[in-house]
Amino acid sequence: MDLLTLAVIALAALLLGLLAQRPRLRPARPPWPARMPYLGGGEPATHAWSRFHVRYYPMTLLLIAFEMEMMFMYPWAVVYVAEGLKALAEMGMFLGILGVGIVYAWREGALRWQ
Amino acid sequence: MNWLRALAATGPVPVYAAVGPGMTDEVRRLALDPVVELVATPRHASVLLVAGAVPPSADAALRRVHAQLPWPCATLWYRSRPFPELDYPQVIEAPEMLAGALQELHRAVLRGPRGREPVLLPDVPPAPFEGRGDYGQGGEGMMGGTPYGRPMAMTTDDLRDGLALDKLELSLGPFFRGLPSGLVLGLSLQGDVVQRCSVEAPPYPEPPAPPFLQALERPMPIAALELARARHHLGRLAEALDLAGLGAPGRRLLRSAGGLAPGRRLRWLGPLVLGSGLLGCVGTGHGRLTRDQAVGAGGPAARAAGQAMDARTEDPGYRQLGFEPVVQRGGDTRARWRQWLDEIDQSLRLAARAVDTDAHTASSGAVEGPCGRLTRDGNPPDLCPVLESILPGCEWGEALAVIASLPLAGTMMPFPAVTA
Repeated sequence: MDLLTLAVIALAALLLGLLAQRPRLRPARPPWPARMPYLGGGEPATHAWSRFHVRYYPMTLLLIAFEMEMMFMYPWAVVYVAEGLKALAEMGMFLGILGVGIVYAWREGALRWQ
Repeated sequence: MNWLRALAATGPVPVYAAVGPGMTDEVRRLALDPVVELVATPRHASVLLVAGAVPPSADAALRRVHAQLPWPCATLWYRSRPFPELDYPQVIEAPEMLAGALQELHRAVLRGPRGREPVLLPDVPPAPFEGRGDYGQGGEGMMGGTPYGRPMAMTTDDLRDGLALDKLELSLGPFFRGLPSGLVLGLSLQGDVVQRCSVEAPPYPEPPAPPFLQALERPMPIAALELARARHHLGRLAEALDLAGLGAPGRRLLRSAGGLAPGRRLRWLGPLVLGSGLLGCVGTGHGRLTRDQAVGAGGPAARAAGQAMDARTEDPGYRQLGFEPVVQRGGDTRARWRQWLDEIDQSLRLAARAVDTDAHTASSGAVEGPCGRLTRDGNPPDLCPVLESILPGCEWGEALAVIASLPLAGTMMPFPAVTA
């Protein structure tokens, strides 16, 4: 019963709060000239809804790829002390292959900012 | 007035300046006033400052800027003619009253006694769209249609890799903060890369500093000319710093420009500007002038491209002081900024030596102004057409940096009538 009363009070408070804010929910829209994009007095000739090349896209792909690979180091770090030299050699091989991948990507121009 | 407005009234006045002809220096000085904050767009401002007589051709553009100030707002007309539709325009003429008038207007706006300034443009969409289209959605869909009343951008090949994507067509100015006042550029942008640039209106002319005009009439103390030159270069560097988001070092340069005196050196200037990261805003080679363009430009722009063109070499007064023009090699934006730095240092040294020997200019036929050669019968060259060839391919931030490094007509000096 107490819980129900509390819920009703909370709901009533919420509704009252929303009603109190209602005039502010939809402020008067600014006039049309105020909604123009700022171009220092100039005007756009075309709609701004245009497609353009996201130049950092290859960078983001590389970042995600290497970030995922770094996740493999967490379980490795847990068993590293127990496994010793064997784990170190395996991780060395893993990072070595990654390193070759980076050198290849570099050579192909994937790291160049376009 | 509620407590929030009372608090806002105690702060600096956010001012957007629409700068008319010959007013750049006065507005630049406002940046040093602690009660004024010059903001980047009208949406950040509470007061619109219209400085100088804006020509009728820019009337519509000024009305558009005026309409973009958020309410509550007001307009201060400084040495300019207010719009006739305004009932009680605030007009002032005296420069010493400018900062005080801005502050007073800001407080009046926040207190609320001033009525709301009317929007001076018709309250209709600039490109009507409501109710149009099969479903009242405002247009005909994607490619080739006119959604929301404006045509869709059409594709064009990217300058860098030929990828065909949309280009945005717009005109910018004449009151865009990052451009010299008066300059209107027609631009095609693909993403943030300039594909095409055309100059639709040149910048407003700026009067030269008085010592340069006087030097065309009579011998002038070389110290006065060189201090005026250093002041000009400091102002331009401060603008470039401000554009790069480095407002604090920019204001330091403006303060030091106000306190220049013969014998004073600015040893901190080079490390401050070079260490601020300003040169990193623009890549090497951006905004590079060809040899012909550099020779046509003259002044520091030519010297930054390795052309030792300087009217001071013809003046016996300067030769007596052992003057040799300093030059750079690159001819690009970075080289022009470095040229200004080197010339400021050179000017301060020359001014110190000129005071010691009481040196005066000896020839008055041609004077080396801060932007190039000044003569009685010729205007300095207009560099605006150069923009159409050097801006395409630049990213937008780089394009603004290139513009900030060039002596465009608005920052050069068309020769006014000299009174004897």
